[in-house]
Amino acid sequence: MIDYIALTLGHGLLIYGFFRLFMNDELDFDPLVDGLKQTARKRKRERIDAARASRRAGADPDDAA
Amino acid sequence: MIDLVFIAFIGFVLLLGLKRPFLWVLLYVYIDILAPQRIGYGVIVDLKVSLIAFAAAFGGWLLMDRKEGARFTFRQGLMLALLVYCAWTTSGAQFPESAATKWDWVWKALLFAIFLPLTLITRARIEALALTMVTSIGMIVVSTGMKTFAGGGGYGNLKFFVKDNSGIYESSTLATVAIGLVPLIWWFTKYGTIFKPNRIVTALAIATIFACLLIPIGTEARTGLLCIAALAGLLLRYVKQRLAVMAVAGAIGLAALPFLPQSYYERMATIAQPGGDESASTRLAVWGWTLDYAAQNPLGGGFDSYRANSFTYRMPVVEKSGNTTRVVTREVTDEARAFHSSVFELLGEQGYPGLLLWLMLHGTGLWQMERVRSRWRKRDQAGETGEDEAWIAPMAAALQMATCIYLVGAMFQGIGYQPVMLMIIGLQIGLHSYCTRIDSARAEVERAMQVGKGRRQRAGVGGKGAADPSGKPPVSDAVTA
Repeated sequence: MIDYIALTLGHGLLIYGFFRLFMNDELDFDPLVDGLKQTARKRKRERIDAARASRRAGADPDDAA
Repeated sequence: MIDLVFIAFIGFVLLLGLKRPFLWVLLYVYIDILAPQRIGYGVIVDLKVSLIAFAAAFGGWLLMDRKEGARFTFRQGLMLALLVYCAWTTSGAQFPESAATKWDWVWKALLFAIFLPLTLITRARIEALALTMVTSIGMIVVSTGMKTFAGGGGYGNLKFFVKDNSGIYESSTLATVAIGLVPLIWWFTKYGTIFKPNRIVTALAIATIFACLLIPIGTEARTGLLCIAALAGLLLRYVKQRLAVMAVAGAIGLAALPFLPQSYYERMATIAQPGGDESASTRLAVWGWTLDYAAQNPLGGGFDSYRANSFTYRMPVVEKSGNTTRVVTREVTDEARAFHSSVFELLGEQGYPGLLLWLMLHGTGLWQMERVRSRWRKRDQAGETGEDEAWIAPMAAALQMATCIYLVGAMFQGIGYQPVMLMIIGLQIGLHSYCTRIDSARAEVERAMQVGKGRRQRAGVGGKGAADPSGKPPVSDAVTA
């Protein structure tokens, strides 16, 4: 009887936990690490875009950056 | 009936894993710890659920899962070296049949521990693995704890789900693992995201911790008492209010004393008097024998090399004759006594190279967790981290304590290749790699900022969008990006 209580409780918790994980995108994509990487990419992209824009305008790219 | 429940649960997780393959990794962890195929007695016994789960976990990761951030680390290399070395010693083992039997589960446990960190690429996964381990062991612990509370304990008398006294279902091993997981269980009451911290979670954690503390009492495992002492000592290092903790622990200990059975006192008394108990006294003889054996076989004798030992010594033996009981000192011969210590287990089976690898594996774990804990604690205190990193230092501390307690228990039991502890190592590697990835991503942001800053400084331009003069990356921006 005691064994069944412990098994039921444990499996109930696992089912609930696994289902929450199943519904959670953060299981596969980490908001912190992926967010930091995205920021780095964004900054690089901004710099490249600014450099291109300044080249088109004929100015020193560093001024535009 | 119970078989169908287990099969339904396994089927449910296999289905969920079609979208989230990592759940298959958790399924293997659950099966490896709880062993439902050994609890059931019908159709599940014939199903190769462990093999199915391992194939799903590895295949799912290989074919369907995200691998960005997965890296092979130095500690995985140590485990791989130990695995290869064990294979080599098994091929020339002194007792080939029993060595092959042990090799059969050791290689799987080591391989899975090497594989596990590759899958731990997010915080949710690290927490999910910890939760699955805690819950799976929690089922065994809660059941055993309830039986102990109801008065069903005693050395060798306590009934687990599985009655073969092996793996996690060996009383001393269960006591060590249960006590080792106490800090990790408490971690969930503050930092869990799968089960958000609330009163129910705290109540469940307290009940499980109470059950964990009952395991050494119910099983009367002496190692368990040493592990509790180690836990108490370690807690003093990590908690802020040391005096309060000492007072509460002392009060609980004193309050528990009247409820402990006499047999428990008698068994614990043998810790200080190893000569009065066969199990304890032979340990010293086995350890001495192992040192001699390693001197003759420095590269190890393969798994179960302890079968070569034989001892004859004098010790007190209880004799009953009619209504008379007397204690006489007799010569007792013991053969094939197990190592009763992981250090000597590794030394006897894998020789000095294997022991060195094993010590390095755990030593680097302690060092890595200390490094992570101290760095993130400092960052936390300096206000450099947000809520999304506050969990790191406490988890590193919990995993470090788990290793310390395991090592205390391992001094007196042959649990050098215990799968649960290898999973803890996997979890430690996963956490360390995750922290390395945070640092490297942050450095990437910083570099991107510094380049722009350098150019602007050379050009004498500042203004909006310039980097923070402190060089600190925009964490909040990054998190919300």
